[in-house]
Amino acid sequence: MTQRPLTLKGFSIRLGDRTLLDAADFEPDAGSSIVIIGKTGVGKSVLLRAVAGFLPPGVFGLDGSMLIHGLSAYEGGKKTTQETWAQIMARGLVFVPAESAQAMNPALTLEHNRRLLAPDSRDEVTRRLKSYFNLDFDAFARLYPDEVSGGELQRITLMILLSRKGNLVLLDEPTVNLDRNLRARFADFLNKEILPDRTKTVLMASHDLDFIQSLKLDQAYALDGGRLNALPSIPRAEGFEKQPAARREGKGLDLESVSQSYFKRGIFGERTFSAYKGLSIRFERSTIYGITGPSGCGKSSMIKGILRLIDGTKGAILLDGQDLVRVKPDEKGTDPAEFIPFRRRMTVVQQDSRYAFFPDLRIRDSVLQIAAARGGSEHLDERALAFYMDKVGLKPVHYNAYPRSLSSGEMKRMDIARALAAKPEVLLLDEPFAHIDFETRATVMKAISEYMAENATIVIVVTHEDFDLRYFVEQSFDFPELVGQNAGA
Amino acid sequence: MKKPYRILFWLLVAVLLGPLVAAWLPAGSLPGFLPVDYQSSLLTAFRQLSITLAATLVVSTLISLILGYVSVLSMRLGRFLSSVLKAVESVPSILIALFCYAPVAVYLAKQASQVSELASLAVFIFAATLTVLPESVRGLAIPLGDLYHRKYSLSFRSYGFSKAHILSVLMKTDTMLAAVRHAAAGILLKTLVLDCSFGFVIQLGFGSYGTPAHHSPGALIAANRDALFEGGNPLLFWIPSLVLATTSIAFLLVLGQKKDARS
Repeated sequence: MTQRPLTLKGFSIRLGDRTLLDAADFEPDAGSSIVIIGKTGVGKSVLLRAVAGFLPPGVFGLDGSMLIHGLSAYEGGKKTTQETWAQIMARGLVFVPAESAQAMNPALTLEHNRRLLAPDSRDEVTRRLKSYFNLDFDAFARLYPDEVSGGELQRITLMILLSRKGNLVLLDEPTVNLDRNLRARFADFLNKEILPDRTKTVLMASHDLDFIQSLKLDQAYALDGGRLNALPSIPRAEGFEKQPAARREGKGLDLESVSQSYFKRGIFGERTFSAYKGLSIRFERSTIYGITGPSGCGKSSMIKGILRLIDGTKGAILLDGQDLVRVKPDEKGTDPAEFIPFRRRMTVVQQDSRYAFFPDLRIRDSVLQIAAARGGSEHLDERALAFYMDKVGLKPVHYNAYPRSLSSGEMKRMDIARALAAKPEVLLLDEPFAHIDFETRATVMKAISEYMAENATIVIVVTHEDFDLRYFVEQSFDFPELVGQNAGA
Repeated sequence: MKKPYRILFWLLVAVLLGPLVAAWLPAGSLPGFLPVDYQSSLLTAFRQLSITLAATLVVSTLISLILGYVSVLSMRLGRFLSSVLKAVESVPSILIALFCYAPVAVYLAKQASQVSELASLAVFIFAATLTVLPESVRGLAIPLGDLYHRKYSLSFRSYGFSKAHILSVLMKTDTMLAAVRHAAAGILLKTLVLDCSFGFVIQLGFGSYGTPAHHSPGALIAANRDALFEGGNPLLFWIPSLVLATTSIAFLLVLGQKKDARS
C-alpha cells in the first residue's frame, strides 16, 4: 500500500486570538498535486511552513497531529523529536519558500549551495535552467548569491530546490518576483517536469489565479476562516469598476534623455555600470501607467531616480517643469531644502513592503515618526491613514501591531494606505500587489482609483502581473523598448 | 530560545564567569592548601584580568558603535576606515601589544610600581582595543549597512527621513542589539586571549621583573609551568588554566548564540 505523504488530524494553528486553521483533517493522495488558495493573511504560507517544520517557536499555537510519510511530525500540537524530523527530511521533503532566494547561504557560492540543497543534481539543475530560464548555471556556479541579480538568484534557487530529491514538494507562492514571461516558463516547467511525476505529491499555496489556471493540478482547496474546503474548480480572477479620475491642468512628469549608472565593487575596485540610457517618456496626471519588463532591466532604478534616492542619474526629470535632477543631483542621505517640497509631493510603495515600517516598533509608532519626518500631521495624519486602511481592508488592530506579526500582504496594504494618506501628487508603485490575493487586490485597486477620482495624481506602476495590466493599468510600456534594450530572457 | 532555556543559558554563563567575580573576595577565602604567595598572585592576576576585560569592553564597544555608525553613514569614510582596520588586522595581536609597549617601556621602568601598573594597564587596553576593533566594527557595520541599504532606506528616505535618523532608529533594533552583544562577546574573548598570551610571553621573556607590569593569568601559568613536573604541585598550573577555560567557554557560548531572527 502506498504511504500517505501527509496526514493532518484535527490540526489547528492559532496566531494570538486568530485561528488560522481549525482542527483540520487533510490527507492528500500520494502523487497528487494540490493548490491552496485564499485571501492574503489567512494562513496558507503558515500551514506550509508548519508542514515543513519551519514555524518559529513560541509565535504560533498548534494543536492536533500531523504525519509526514507515516512518521509522526506533530503530536498534540508539539513538534516531535529532531531524530524523527531528520528521518522525515531523509525520506524526501522539499520546501520552496516565497522568497526562495533566502534559502541560499550568502557565505557559500551557488555551486556550494547547490551541493548542499540538491546533491547529485548538477546536470538536472543545469539542463532545467538552460531549457526553461535560458540561464547557463556554469557561468554562475562560482559566484556568491550577492553577486547575481535578484531575478537570476530567484530562478537559480527555484531550480535547485525543485531538483532536490524528495516526494513531498511544498511550494509557497512560487511566482512572487517572477515577471510574466518567466511565470509562463515556470508554469511550463511545472507542467512538464514536476506535476506529471506521480512519485511526487505537490502542495502549493498561491493567490495567483492566472498562474494556477495555467497549471495541470488535481485539486484546489480554499483556506478561509480556519476551514480548508475542497473547491469544484479554480475560480477566475475578477476585476472592479474604475471611477473616472480627477483632471487638472499641469505638465505632469517628464523624463528627458534620462540615463542611470551605478557602481559595483569588483576585484579591481569600483566600476561603473549602466542600468539604462536614453529614457524619454511623459507621464500625465490622472492616468495609470504600467511599466513592464524582465527583472533587472532598470524599472526599480527609474523609480529611485524619480525619487532622487540614487546617484548616477543624468538627463532631466521634470515635475511640473522643475528639473529634479538639477535640484538634487546626488543622494547624500539628506535632502536639500529646495527639494523638500518635491519630496512631500511623492510617495512610493516599495517592492518589499516588509521593510516599509521599522522592525521593532508598532506600526503606529513608525507612522508617528514618519509624519514628523514628512513635516507634520498636515502631510500625513492618523485619521487619513485610518480611512485608507479601512479602504484597503485593514482593521485598527493592524495599526497597533508589530510588522513581524503582519503577513506580507497586510504589510503591502499598510504601505499602500500610508502612501495614499500622505496625499501624493506622484504615486510610484513598485510591484504593489505582489503578495495580495486577487479578491483583496481588486479592493486595493478600487481604493487607489477612488483616491485618483479626487486627486489628479500621476500614477506609475511597475508590475509583472497580467491581472494588474488587465484591470488597473490604463497605458503600459515595455521598459526595455523604452530604453532601446532587447527584452532578452 | 524559549524563556526557561534562556534563563538557564544566562545562569550557566554567570556560573562560568563566577571565578572572575570570586577573585574580588578577600585573600583568606581561598583554600588554605595553596601557598600564600600563590594565593596573592592568583587573586591579583584575575582581578587585573577582570579590570582589563571590563575596561576594554567599554572602550572598544563604544568606539565600535561610533565607527560602525559613521562607516555606514558616510560611505567614503567607511571605505577609508575599512582599509585602516584591515591594515591593523594584518598585524598579529601580540605584535601590536609589543609595539604599543615599546615607546613607553622606559617610562614604565622608571615609575613607582603602582603608577607603572596603571600606565601598563592603560597601554594594554589601548593595544587590545586596536586588535579587536576590525572585527567588532565589521560586526556592527555589516548588519547595519544591510538593514539600511537592502531594506529600510528607500521607504523611509522617500518620506523625508535623513539617513542619520534612519540609522539611529535601526541601531536600536533587536537585530542590532544582537549584533552588539555578539561583538561584545568577541571583544571579551579576543582580549582574554591577548591578555593571557601577552602575559605568558612577557613572563617567559622577562620573568617576574619584566618591564610591562602586566599581571595576568597567562603570566601565572607561565611562572608555574614547572609545577606539572615531578615534585611540583600541578594545581598551581591547573587552577588558572581551568578558570581561563570556563571564562572562555562563557564568552564562546554568548558568541555562538543565534542572532534574533525576528527582524
